[in-house]
Amino acid sequence: MSENQQTVQRNLWENPWGYVESFFIGFGLLVTGFFLEVFVKTNNTFTISYPYNVFFLVGYVVALIMLYKWFSTTQIIRWLTKVPASISSIVLVTLLVMIMGIIPQIPSENNIITNLGLNHITTNWAFLLIIFQFLTCLGLVTIKRISQLKWSNFGFILNHLGLFLALIAGILGTGDLQRLSINVYEGKPSWIATDAQKNEIELPFAFYLKDFLINEYNPKLALVDNKSGSIAHNNGKNLYLVEKGETYFFKNFEVTVNEFFPNSGRIGDRYEKVNEIGSPPSASITVKNIENDSIINSWISSGSFRYPYESLKISEDYSIVMTIPEVKKFSSDIDILTKEGERISTVLEVNKPFKFRGWKIYQLSYDDKMGKWSNLSVLELVKDPWLPFIYIGIFMMIAGAFYMFWMGNKITKNQ
Amino acid sequence: MTWIDFPLYSSISISLWILGLLFLLISYKKETVFKFANLLFIAGWVVLILFVIKLWIELDRPPMRTLGETRLWYATFLPLIGFLTYIRWKYKWFLAYSIAMAGMFLAINYMNPETYSKTLMPALQSPWFIPHVLVYLFSYAVLAASSIVAVKGWYDSYKGKFNIETLKLADNLVYIGFAFLTLGLLFGALWAKEAWGHYWTWDPKEVWAFLTWMGYLIYIHYRHFHIHKTQQALTILALAFVVLLVCWFGVNYLPVANTSVHTYTQY
Ligand code: HEM
Repeated sequence: MSENQQTVQRNLWENPWGYVESFFIGFGLLVTGFFLEVFVKTNNTFTISYPYNVFFLVGYVVALIMLYKWFSTTQIIRWLTKVPASISSIVLVTLLVMIMGIIPQIPSENNIITNLGLNHITTNWAFLLIIFQFLTCLGLVTIKRISQLKWSNFGFILNHLGLFLALIAGILGTGDLQRLSINVYEGKPSWIATDAQKNEIELPFAFYLKDFLINEYNPKLALVDNKSGSIAHNNGKNLYLVEKGETYFFKNFEVTVNEFFPNSGRIGDRYEKVNEIGSPPSASITVKNIENDSIINSWISSGSFRYPYESLKISEDYSIVMTIPEVKKFSSDIDILTKEGERISTVLEVNKPFKFRGWKIYQLSYDDKMGKWSNLSVLELVKDPWLPFIYIGIFMMIAGAFYMFWMGNKITKNQ
Repeated sequence: MTWIDFPLYSSISISLWILGLLFLLISYKKETVFKFANLLFIAGWVVLILFVIKLWIELDRPPMRTLGETRLWYATFLPLIGFLTYIRWKYKWFLAYSIAMAGMFLAINYMNPETYSKTLMPALQSPWFIPHVLVYLFSYAVLAASSIVAVKGWYDSYKGKFNIETLKLADNLVYIGFAFLTLGLLFGALWAKEAWGHYWTWDPKEVWAFLTWMGYLIYIHYRHFHIHKTQQALTILALAFVVLLVCWFGVNYLPVANTSVHTYTQY
């Protein structure tokens, strides 16, 4: 176990480098990075795509192995495989990510933020340089432990190699990552998708939306303060879902739901079940004021994009309103049509993507103004050829976490 | 309504657990009664599992859709994690803590029957939801405990009677908590891939979760390398906890808050 308890006076840059030197180098990298950021104006961000990222990866790993094998006695390699270099790079990565966690990563009017690129940290040169040092430490220390060929390094390798793999595959993979979205309308085939920069891209297959379906929860009943217009909380409880025949209590009002229609329209002084586009839910309610036993009967409705809502004023202070129903589930019943004339049917749903020819197809959204009458479904297509490596890394780290939980740390065990 | 029997089952479980917790408390004085505590915990747990199985059969689908059902799963899995941690690390207080948390979730369900808000937005309706939240809940609890230990360590060394055992306890808790934190982060990534198409988007909540993780990573490496610099280690532990608190409560107050997808307004 390494110990750094020398009390002997050691000069700067003398063997072995400690925290002062490590942070000195780290800050050097940061300053260089910010310098590049200010003076080297590049419009395209640093991404490399196939095959150059593969070349880079192979070259980098081979370089790390060679450095470790032949140069491990040099000052710099010894430093890179020791904790101070790692900690300084972990601290500086943390610092930069913290900037990302405070300054919104969107175009800014502040000159300092814009010039130093603090609103795009993930593509900032300073970040890339520090991450590079971070990965180099991680890579070298992993190689060191692997080359020791000891079972006791098992957990260490799971964690460190797993992280190395996941990070490097994630970073190098961005160049090959494709995320497209496509608007698909009911009843006609669509094959033109758009990427993040709004470029149109023609797909080698088409989507045909047979049906777009939304399941909704029932709307909720809420007590609203007439003056402020905001929900007067019902003793801090959640709102009630409208359910025919149920009785709910709001402060000193007893509200009974006599009738509930998910789709309805106003006919005279009441609502009736109808089934046309934009027909809102409605309920007939009886409100009894427990204090003075007065009773009001009325219809309320949450309204829709076509019809106004209707609430019920039950006293000077309060009204009962029906909220817009929340979406429970939305799904698209689609056919995928290929150039070869194949027709593949599937149902897409949130959390249930569909794999097709290297793409993963997701249910993204729909026309939310139209709600359940939307005949538009927005799909997302993602292709990420580096995903298997990221998953290997992630699963190694998951195994490493179990190992850590079970084994605990050496320090406690050895002493 | 399949939840109709819930008050019965949950009150049996809760009573058994409260009794068990009492025995556990007594066992600090008299070790032999600890096995009664365990028996009661397990009995309560079996009752709960019976209810879950019954509910599952009657609903004819995994009961994982509504908030109430989610809490039911918390209550089911917390004792399991508590038992596992106890079997490995013998922290009695920790077993008590997880049982008490599980009981609390049952009580919440008892007081808010299913007629109240049972809406869950589509992206949250995923088998990843429960493991993700559960391991986070757990890791925060363990890491919070490690920080309490750190404060004790500080106080002790201020009084000049610092005991290295304190730091060893903190180390163990950090390792356990960090393992769960890693799982939470990674489960989140795997889920995000299924729900949103990408495993990592640098959303503010993700950023702060990552920072928390890095904070404890610093502690682990510092401790490994500088085994005798106890003061500095305690300071790092305390700072890491500050980051954790920002992640837990503070993100909403930062300027980045309105760029977060964790507010779930897009659907
Ligand atoms: C998944 C994240 C990580 C975990 C769980 C982790 C865990 C550990 C543990 C438990 C040790 C103690 C040594 C042992 O068990 O034999 C250690 C050592 C070390 N770690 Fe990490 N670590 C992680 C990430 C990193 C990163 C990102 C770096 C570098 C940037 C790093 C660099 C080191 C170094 C240099 C050592 C000392 C190795 C030695 O003395 O041979 N680790 N790590």
